[in-house]
Amino acid sequence: MTDLAQNTLDGLFLGSSYALLALGFTLIFGVLRRVNLSFGPAIMFGCYAATWVNLNFGVGLMALALITVAGAVLAGAYVERLCFAPHRNGSPIAAMVASFALWMQFEELATIALPRHIYDFPPLHGGTPLEFGGLMLRVESLVMLLAAIVMCAVLWGILYRTRFGVALRAVIDQPQAAQLAGIDVPRVFVLTFALASAIGGLAGFLIAASHEQVTPMLGMWSTLKGLLAMMLGGLGSLPGAVLGGLALGLLEAHSQWFLGPQYRDLLAYLLLFVLLAARVPWMTTRSAS
Amino acid sequence: MDDYAIGVLTNIGLISFLALSAYLLLIAGEMSFGQQAFFGVGAYAGGMLTSMYGWPLPLAALAAMALGALAQFLVGLPTLRLRGLYFAMATLAAAEMARILFELFHFQRQVEGEPVGPDGSQGFRGIRWVFAHGVEPLEYMGIIYAMLALALAAFLLVERSRLGATLRGVGEDPQLAASLGVDVNRVKLGAAAAAGALAALGGVLYAHHNTYIEPRNFDLMLGVHSLAYALIGGLGTALGPLLGVVLDIGALEGSRIFHGYRMIVFGGLVALLLVWRPRGLLDERSVQWLKRRFS
Repeated sequence: MTDLAQNTLDGLFLGSSYALLALGFTLIFGVLRRVNLSFGPAIMFGCYAATWVNLNFGVGLMALALITVAGAVLAGAYVERLCFAPHRNGSPIAAMVASFALWMQFEELATIALPRHIYDFPPLHGGTPLEFGGLMLRVESLVMLLAAIVMCAVLWGILYRTRFGVALRAVIDQPQAAQLAGIDVPRVFVLTFALASAIGGLAGFLIAASHEQVTPMLGMWSTLKGLLAMMLGGLGSLPGAVLGGLALGLLEAHSQWFLGPQYRDLLAYLLLFVLLAARVPWMTTRSAS
Repeated sequence: MDDYAIGVLTNIGLISFLALSAYLLLIAGEMSFGQQAFFGVGAYAGGMLTSMYGWPLPLAALAAMALGALAQFLVGLPTLRLRGLYFAMATLAAAEMARILFELFHFQRQVEGEPVGPDGSQGFRGIRWVFAHGVEPLEYMGIIYAMLALALAAFLLVERSRLGATLRGVGEDPQLAASLGVDVNRVKLGAAAAAGALAALGGVLYAHHNTYIEPRNFDLMLGVHSLAYALIGGLGTALGPLLGVVLDIGALEGSRIFHGYRMIVFGGLVALLLVWRPRGLLDERSVQWLKRRFS
């Protein structure tokens, strides 16, 4: 019983990091109708920038968080300019393959700057986990969950309480009508990309701090988990991204406990495959061609 | 030719099968993130048949191709009605499942007193048919390119035929094709099965070239690379994917000019190239232009 509760708890924490990644992904997808494979690698770039600064100058946690977010936004802007702005009305496949090409750049850049396979990343807290009636709670996990909740609230505020939010939702729902209504669509694209990258950067910082390490694999990991969580929750849906992330986290935590890591991944992919093949309504309503 | 050149050329030939396989599906209007799985199926099946059961390589290759075609047919059956990203994600999920299943796959038998066969994530060593039959590396490269030439000839024949026009029609506008009486689903399933067989053939040849394979060889990176090769080379002709492979593996890795910076150079070039030519270097337009020029 304790195990079950502990796994559920771990799953929620894990899921909140996936939810953050999926939020960034789904913002970009919802607005651009394009998949940004470089989303994870841009986050990895931010984490590597922070690690590099930390190794050379030794800065505090807040500064590290800022550098990670700034690095991710910078990398995101580069991706937007080179892969998405030119293909705005063109081929989605070309945009996606171009974003994959930049992924290769980020990965090589990271290994040139920091050639070892693994680098330490300072933890948020580093102390022993807190205990609550037999349940173990890591401070990092709590912060992650908190960050996910706060980010959702902030995002909701931006989307429903600002002019930019109205414009963004208009572009998601009816890009052409939005353009006709006088919304500066290219500007919305750029700002959305920056916003999504900032969320990704924050997620990356929290993930690196809770793993206490960075590796070049963080790029692929973030892209895969973000894509999976986004697909599970329904493309382009913000609440869906959060739910998809939490569902993926719960599934992984429980299957890891009962079946081990290989079956954990197998099960996650199987679920995605079956849901796609069954064309469940919440997943395949949006046009994604 | 020195060993290094033979190695690079052999690699170009092997990866070309995978790029052609991705290209075939792109022509049929589907983007697959999962062709590496069928490459893997071919590699495992072919390697097992020659090393564990003593089949001759040509026979094992045929069987592996049949299995690759069947595997992709089965994956395609529930997924080919999905469009765009949904199909891409379904193939990604299928391919990652296949890779994990390779990691869980332990199946060995005693051959000449030694255990041979796939050993999960430890990999599968001892695929020695080529070595045991005294085939020299240069000769083996010749075999690979002969197979590739056959595949290309088939492609070029099909592209000139009615079937080729139907295939491109299905890829460009499935609704229009359907309204003209084309059974879109059947055409796509056929293309998928052929793509699976092609990838599996590449896999068999790859396994027998390396003599050792492991699940990690067939990860997502390989699949997305082959997709990228097809797209940058161009979707206008089957020579396009080959050009993509030659540009990356041949010109950049082979030449060693940009040693250590290859991916930065290649990645930037690909992104810029796609701005200029979203359907690759040898796209439909440049193929038409070349045809006018040289006919």
